[in-house]
Amino acid sequence: MKKELNLTVNGQPYELYIKPKTLLVEVLRDHLGLTGTKRGCNSSSCGACTVILNGMSVKSCSILALQADSAEVLTLEGLANGAELHPLQKAFLDHGAFQCGFCTSGMLMSAKTLLDENPKPTAEQIKEGIDGNICRCTGYNSIIRAITDVVKGEYKEEK
Amino acid sequence: MIRDFEYLAPKTLEEALTLLSKYGEECKIIAGGQSLLVLMRQGLVAPKYLISIKGVSELNYINYDAKKGLRIGALTPHRAIENSPVIQNGFTALAEMERRLASIQTRNWGTIGGNLCHADPAGDPAPVLVVLKATLKMQSLDGERTMASEDFSLDYFETALGPGELLTEIQVPVVSPHTGTAYTKFNVIESDLATVGVAVSIILSSSNSACQDVRIALGASAPTPMRAKQAEEVLRGKKITDALLTEAGQIASTEADPISDIYASEEYRRELVKVLVKRVGKEALARAKQA
Amino acid sequence: MSKYSVIGTRVRRVDGPEKVTGNAKYTFDMVLPNMLYGKILRSPHPHARILNIDTSQAEKLIGVKAIVTGKDTLGRKQGIWRRFSELCDEEILCRAKVRYIGDPVAAVAAVDEDTAEEALDLIEVEYEPLPAVFDPMEAIKEEAPQLHEGAELNINVTRHIEWGDVDEAFRQCDHIREDQFKCSSQAHVCMETHDAVASFDYNGKLTVWTSTQSSYYIQRLLTDMLGLRESDIRVIKPPTGGGFGSKFELDSAQFCASVLSMKLCQPVKIVLSREEEFTATKRRTPMYYSVKLGAKKDGTLLAKEVRVITEGGAYTGMGATALYLTGFFSSFPYKYPNYRYDGYRVYTNTAPTSAMRGFGAPQSTFVGESQIDMIAEDLGIDPIEIRRKNGMTPNYEVPGQAYIQSCGLHQCLDKLEEQIKEQGKLPANHGIGVSAYGFMSGGIFNWFDTPYAFSSAIVKINIDGKVDLFTGACEIGQGSDTTLSMICAEELGVRLEDIRIYAGDTGICPVDLGAWGSRETLMNGNAVKMAAADAKRQLLEFAAAKLGANIVYDLEIKDQWIHLTDRPERGFSYFDIVKEAIRGRDGEVIMGRGHYTPHRKGMISPAYSFGVQAVEVEVDTETGRVKLVNVTTAHESGTVINPVGIEGQLEGAIMMAGGYGFCEDQPMDGGKILNPSIADYKLIRSLDMPKTKILPIDTYEPEGPFGAKEAGEGLTNPTAGAIGNAVYKAVGVRITDLPITPEKVLRALKKKQKQNK
Repeated sequence: MKKELNLTVNGQPYELYIKPKTLLVEVLRDHLGLTGTKRGCNSSSCGACTVILNGMSVKSCSILALQADSAEVLTLEGLANGAELHPLQKAFLDHGAFQCGFCTSGMLMSAKTLLDENPKPTAEQIKEGIDGNICRCTGYNSIIRAITDVVKGEYKEEK
Repeated sequence: MIRDFEYLAPKTLEEALTLLSKYGEECKIIAGGQSLLVLMRQGLVAPKYLISIKGVSELNYINYDAKKGLRIGALTPHRAIENSPVIQNGFTALAEMERRLASIQTRNWGTIGGNLCHADPAGDPAPVLVVLKATLKMQSLDGERTMASEDFSLDYFETALGPGELLTEIQVPVVSPHTGTAYTKFNVIESDLATVGVAVSIILSSSNSACQDVRIALGASAPTPMRAKQAEEVLRGKKITDALLTEAGQIASTEADPISDIYASEEYRRELVKVLVKRVGKEALARAKQA
Repeated sequence: MSKYSVIGTRVRRVDGPEKVTGNAKYTFDMVLPNMLYGKILRSPHPHARILNIDTSQAEKLIGVKAIVTGKDTLGRKQGIWRRFSELCDEEILCRAKVRYIGDPVAAVAAVDEDTAEEALDLIEVEYEPLPAVFDPMEAIKEEAPQLHEGAELNINVTRHIEWGDVDEAFRQCDHIREDQFKCSSQAHVCMETHDAVASFDYNGKLTVWTSTQSSYYIQRLLTDMLGLRESDIRVIKPPTGGGFGSKFELDSAQFCASVLSMKLCQPVKIVLSREEEFTATKRRTPMYYSVKLGAKKDGTLLAKEVRVITEGGAYTGMGATALYLTGFFSSFPYKYPNYRYDGYRVYTNTAPTSAMRGFGAPQSTFVGESQIDMIAEDLGIDPIEIRRKNGMTPNYEVPGQAYIQSCGLHQCLDKLEEQIKEQGKLPANHGIGVSAYGFMSGGIFNWFDTPYAFSSAIVKINIDGKVDLFTGACEIGQGSDTTLSMICAEELGVRLEDIRIYAGDTGICPVDLGAWGSRETLMNGNAVKMAAADAKRQLLEFAAAKLGANIVYDLEIKDQWIHLTDRPERGFSYFDIVKEAIRGRDGEVIMGRGHYTPHRKGMISPAYSFGVQAVEVEVDTETGRVKLVNVTTAHESGTVINPVGIEGQLEGAIMMAGGYGFCEDQPMDGGKILNPSIADYKLIRSLDMPKTKILPIDTYEPEGPFGAKEAGEGLTNPTAGAIGNAVYKAVGVRITDLPITPEKVLRALKKKQKQNK
């Protein structure tokens, strides 16, 4: 019954043996112990489980892991570059763009995808970019300010 | 809780159809699974065999031909349709509709075919395809057939797909000159499902003259997406005025067959149909004049 | 230049790095060796007798390790109002009766979640359904089914607040209004659902990791229910994904996991599903309001009479407090010479209603702020003017009820009025509605019956000058870890980075009642300040001895420099003194202790924060859809300790309170919640969020640490009322029952059109 799954997560290749009904989020959290990605609902609505699959933001609770066979997945644990935080992480810290932190993983993944696809989004596009992610704590505006600052180049590394 | 199943992942259409034919009633097709997995997690759908066609890349395409029109493979993700230059320019309403469908995450993985086959009457794509006179191609091992998109949905969550059949292509004919199409849905939260959705397509016989043809399609107003044919009659062949649009809206609201649920009463949905048909019709008319 | 080094600065949260990197381990993420997974079987009936529970089939399922029912418990009832046994009415695992759809009847521990869930299907429960009642107006009738013994007419709690002579005052009024309002329920929708990992060991000690607003309450309530010694239970709060009032009472995940773990001596984890979260945890109290307001023709408010019936749901929980506070805050933020409130909490066979951010005040503010606009219009008085005329002022005593020290309400009114004027003329179908509020900074009541101070803290200064801060305060996202660390750092004269906080672990932290009722900053802040001052004193004593100066008045620590206050150049490095002080005291650890209990701090709360909010809406007159365009809030919360934190609290409050105003609702049928999913329960997302503007008003609260008082809960109060007033201003219809949905607005508009014809 179990099937082989090969996928790369945060640059690391994995070979797993899983039940077909296993969701991608379960592979990440339960099999690989990467608990940064969260689950907040059972109706594919909240976005807390958002990860980046082959460069696209997706809800990992709504993808069968086997459908991600051979894919490259990025989770929050892979966002920083070693000890160097990603500009979005720094911006989130500076702007208080999170409070309880439970939605933050999904939020950062959506924000990263937004900027990867479009480095200069408009204010409306930024809002659209995170509209699939519910936050119950911040009221979103601090998150939008954080992303806006990254877009403006406030966190460009000094060369 | 999802029940165990056997997982099959065909790589070609041929393989997929073969498996579908082989397992018949015991299997279910999963494309992006954005609708199906919600049902499976709740235990409402529990097939013995799950055939994932997400990997059938030959059904993921957007082609445009000046004669044949637009051909969209059934496994094309919503996001590709949203971002396609040819669709943004030539079939704008389709791209606009996609932009407000669910969330980016859902659109990245969910497919237009999956959405149509799920046949939620509140779905956004169906009304737009209906007014664009789209046809849907279905294939089985025995051959293929095409039907008008407005005939595809039979009832809540039920389609005209026969045993062994897969939806493979959405075909949108070339848009005539002086055509304007628009879609809007009513909701309280911007990206939410439609409480009521309305699509209108108006073809004028020249840039400022009478309406040569019109289509009005309603979503979330009946067990299936429906054409408001009597409302269309109000506009067809006439020079469209605000008063006519209001009348069309009024007629459409009587044609609709909406339910009462926790989001809206039947009465309120009819009211929304009335208002939206008028507004979307006006938008479509303006676009037709500019086209 | 600020006189403070740390307080008032914009800092990164101390728990920030772990949260933005995915390293924060919530209870939701915990996996312990040998851990089992639990699931709870819940009643499908709103009211029924339990005749029999047969677990035999379920027990045979491979992977099931234990099943417990009410029979496996001590059969006790609990409630957070511990002092009043008649309000301790909840068994959690029901023995004889179930009282709402979702009431737990059994719990299973198995090797994985799927097995536990399958086992639930195999448990056979024989119920005898009883007549049920869902509407408090029906439940209060003679013939209604009775939910709890001893609660005649299902009246669970009553409250009465009165001063002056209301009846006489009404006789003297020039104008009187009587209005009815209905305030809906609301779900907290914390992103992390209720969860717990309970581990009972062979030493007879229980450790519970849980997402909670109060580890101490959970510890004490488990003690009562499990029969263990309080100190044999250790409750640890990992990073917690939200609370908003839902997580400081003992819940089914914590209790069932503990009972199961005690049976097996293995860790058991229970995570409530989102559906359980909606249906089987407590929610905001729906309230039916009848209000009579009387004024002089110049707008002076003379009398207010309020009568409230609340839908209590199946158990009391914190409902008694919500009942009281809604009555108390119905008198806010105005000076009523005569006032009377009567509140009745009524049991119903629905999910229990309890505490949610604002605690009865969002409801009372919606009602009060709507009605004051209505009477202002009757009298031809400007809405801001009438508020100004009657608004509370500093050092005001709510007659016989409460003493308000700092109050910046008038400054808030002035500032907001300025802003609104600047905005100029609005487009068609736009309207700006105003709403004023006041809220408490923690309550003084001890219905929990704790012998402890309400807040405590311990500060330990280590040899390298770094400081360990121990406090029972609970960080649930609201920023208490950061705010308290800032207070500690400021008091000690060190940097924020020098503080390490250990919070919410009953095993190592001194008691704090928890993060609810807006008490952390003021109460725990004071405890932390006192502990830091105590530790500081020990350092200063030593430094003074070295310097030969007079102790208390002459020395200070600022920016890690201990110096003579008058002559800052004469001093020592903090780090050097720490080393010498420890050596000089025989190596004794430098520890400071602090506590705070609001005894003799008025009758309700030590301090109150105030604010005024203006909401601009756009109404679509053909569909009734209300769009939130702009929210401007002038508010004062004393000294601002953590500015980034306060902005976050304000904007987050707007999302929650705005939702309460126009889109969040829990429609029910036969006691069943019809929309128990995030797909169906409508929440404001980024595209729906209005522009927000904060106008901070500077005030100083003598009772608070460095002059600070609450921010975060009070801010949830005004928005629904402001939306209601804005809709009225925009299109002339007044909606008096929440939420303000498009359908209600359209219906009202059509009715108005008909009337105008």
